Amino acid sequence: MRRVMPVLLLSVVISFLAIACDRGPSAKSGGVASIKVVIADYSKDNTRPFWQALSAAYTKQTGVKVDLQVIDWNSIDQQVTTMIQNNQPPDVLNLNSFSSYAKDGLLNSSEDVLSAKTRDDFLAAFARGGEYQGKLYGFPILSSARAFFYNKSLFAKAKIAAPPKTWDEFVKTAQKITALGKGTIGYALPLGPEEAQAEWSIWMWNNGGDWKSGDQWAINSEKNLQTLKFLADLANTHKVTQVNPGKTNRTDGAFQLFKDGKVGMVMGFSPLAKQLDAEGKVDYGVTEMPTNAGAAVTLGVEDYLMAFKKKGNQEAVTKFLDLYYQPENITRWITAEGFLPVTKSGLDQMRSNAKLKPYLDALPNARLVPTTDPAWDKVKLDVQQNIGLAVQPGGNPKQVLDQLQKNATTAGGR
Amino acid sequence: MPGPRRTRRATDWQALLWLGPSLLLIGGVVLYPAARLVQASLSQYSVTGLYQGWVGLRNYARLLRQEALVTVAMNTVVWVAVIVVVTVLISLALAQLLDRRFPGRRLVRWALIVPWAASLIVTSKLFVWIYDYYFGILNPVLQSLGVLAQPVDWLGDDSTVMGAMIAVGVFVSLPFTSYVLLAGLQTIPADVYEAARVDGASAWRTYRSVTLPLLRPALLVAAVLNIIYVFNSFPIVWTLNDRNPGFGHDTMITYMYKIAFKSSLRDVGLAAALGVVNVALILVAVIVYLRTVRWREAEA
Repeated sequence: MRRVMPVLLLSVVISFLAIACDRGPSAKSGGVASIKVVIADYSKDNTRPFWQALSAAYTKQTGVKVDLQVIDWNSIDQQVTTMIQNNQPPDVLNLNSFSSYAKDGLLNSSEDVLSAKTRDDFLAAFARGGEYQGKLYGFPILSSARAFFYNKSLFAKAKIAAPPKTWDEFVKTAQKITALGKGTIGYALPLGPEEAQAEWSIWMWNNGGDWKSGDQWAINSEKNLQTLKFLADLANTHKVTQVNPGKTNRTDGAFQLFKDGKVGMVMGFSPLAKQLDAEGKVDYGVTEMPTNAGAAVTLGVEDYLMAFKKKGNQEAVTKFLDLYYQPENITRWITAEGFLPVTKSGLDQMRSNAKLKPYLDALPNARLVPTTDPAWDKVKLDVQQNIGLAVQPGGNPKQVLDQLQKNATTAGGR
Repeated sequence: MPGPRRTRRATDWQALLWLGPSLLLIGGVVLYPAARLVQASLSQYSVTGLYQGWVGLRNYARLLRQEALVTVAMNTVVWVAVIVVVTVLISLALAQLLDRRFPGRRLVRWALIVPWAASLIVTSKLFVWIYDYYFGILNPVLQSLGVLAQPVDWLGDDSTVMGAMIAVGVFVSLPFTSYVLLAGLQTIPADVYEAARVDGASAWRTYRSVTLPLLRPALLVAAVLNIIYVFNSFPIVWTLNDRNPGFGHDTMITYMYKIAFKSSLRDVGLAAALGVVNVALILVAVIVYLRTVRWREAEA
């Protein structure tokens, strides 16, 4: 034992020295030799090639190297949190949230890192969606809008003339398709943890409800309770959904079933259309959401680029962002990924694309989830983990919404 | 000419020189992360991961107040206990089989390694598709055999999720356990069996009184390592349970990950506290186990 002790002590000392060493970023004075750019992986085919080419062009232009990391959506939250926890934040980060980072004072606002020309080019709705306390911190990188997909062959078989416009028509349509039998599913409802907040938002808005009323959270409003009961009824009373909709994810659940031709209707977006076109198995149509509140509303999703405050990186980051926001660069990438524009110049260029028409038409009526509220980052996860429980047999919609409301209200305080 | 006498001191320093690289390695990949884990568990982090100060034991107190903790702890006990017991029982039989000589034994031995060699994520994804309600192969097979009247949503139905995950857990634990037990069987000298035969012991009697006692060290190693592996296993539960909302089917390990990144808590400090608790729990579990089976006696 006597001999083991010094050895152990030495190891402990070494590890604490290591802790001491990695505190504090290694900042250089004036300018930086390289910047770390972290991008979410939207698709295997397009994301990395585009950003690699952009980084190469940037290095050629400025002499500043780019440490590019393309990270898949499943682990990007974890990896970014770890970077910040270890005091090694990226210089440029692409994510679907921004306000928590702005709240923590980690970001530069658009005035510090974007040229006036770039700032003025953003579509107003998306610029608003990136604001925190009156300043733009979440620079729109791309957008997408959900649309209502239906299987034309199944509609023809069930003798349905047109896609449903109202909720009543929707239920009847779903029933007719389910009545075709052989495991045919009227509507694929994904309320599992992957993306439940998106599905829920669309149903909620199309019943006239919302996340917030003014500045206050209104998740458990009367309207929203009605909506959640409606969704639970689809599953448990009308039985027009797939099995266990509260435990079905979007990508490998609802979309997979629709791509297999088993499903009459699903809420999709342009990348799903791309996959359907590539597979050529399902004859599908794309239209507006059925609504219970007069005008159809859809969900717009805006993702962000953020510029982290780090010593001496401002000039290098500004040049990098300017390069991305060159109309030909940003539009080339957004088109390749099958998403929608966030800039006026991009919108003008993409209007001519007939395939994108339904989504571009929906864009003016698209609403965004409240990403500008830092509490949203927690509310979103809470909804993802819990709303599915409400539509399971024996689930309690009121209790679930009340709990979400309570957590949302306290999340703001923390 | 006598060689120079080395002093004790010099020997120690020389030893340290030789041990140096491995000490650095242990310091870097074991002690340093462990120290950081403890440090994180005593700190407060914002949702972005930004350090917000020292909070002492507050994270531990908050951890105890989490409603899901009891469910998750019970899940973990079931998950570890059932997998380890079932795995060891099946592996005893498998090891016995592999110890016999039969044509194609080499092939069977190789085949048994496959689930071990495959990545856990890949295996788990494979089982997700096998279990799938709409596309999976398990339901049609069981229905055509008349075992099931109706298809079952194995990964969505609350009553079958844990069982489905445990089955995969056993499947991937079998190779390692079987090989440890097989190695144990092969250390038993043939003359002990010879003696048992001469004494007229029945096959079952021989197994109980000769094989099992002599297999004890191997059984201990298999059980202890399995307890640790299964407790720490992340990919199976994470992949098979990813569609289910809430924490109803999580183990301590996936719960820890959800606390940090996938729940409304979104709290690295709290997750680190659970991480420390997990390490402590597994140590206690192993010590209690070794105490009960009287490790020293087995050594002798």
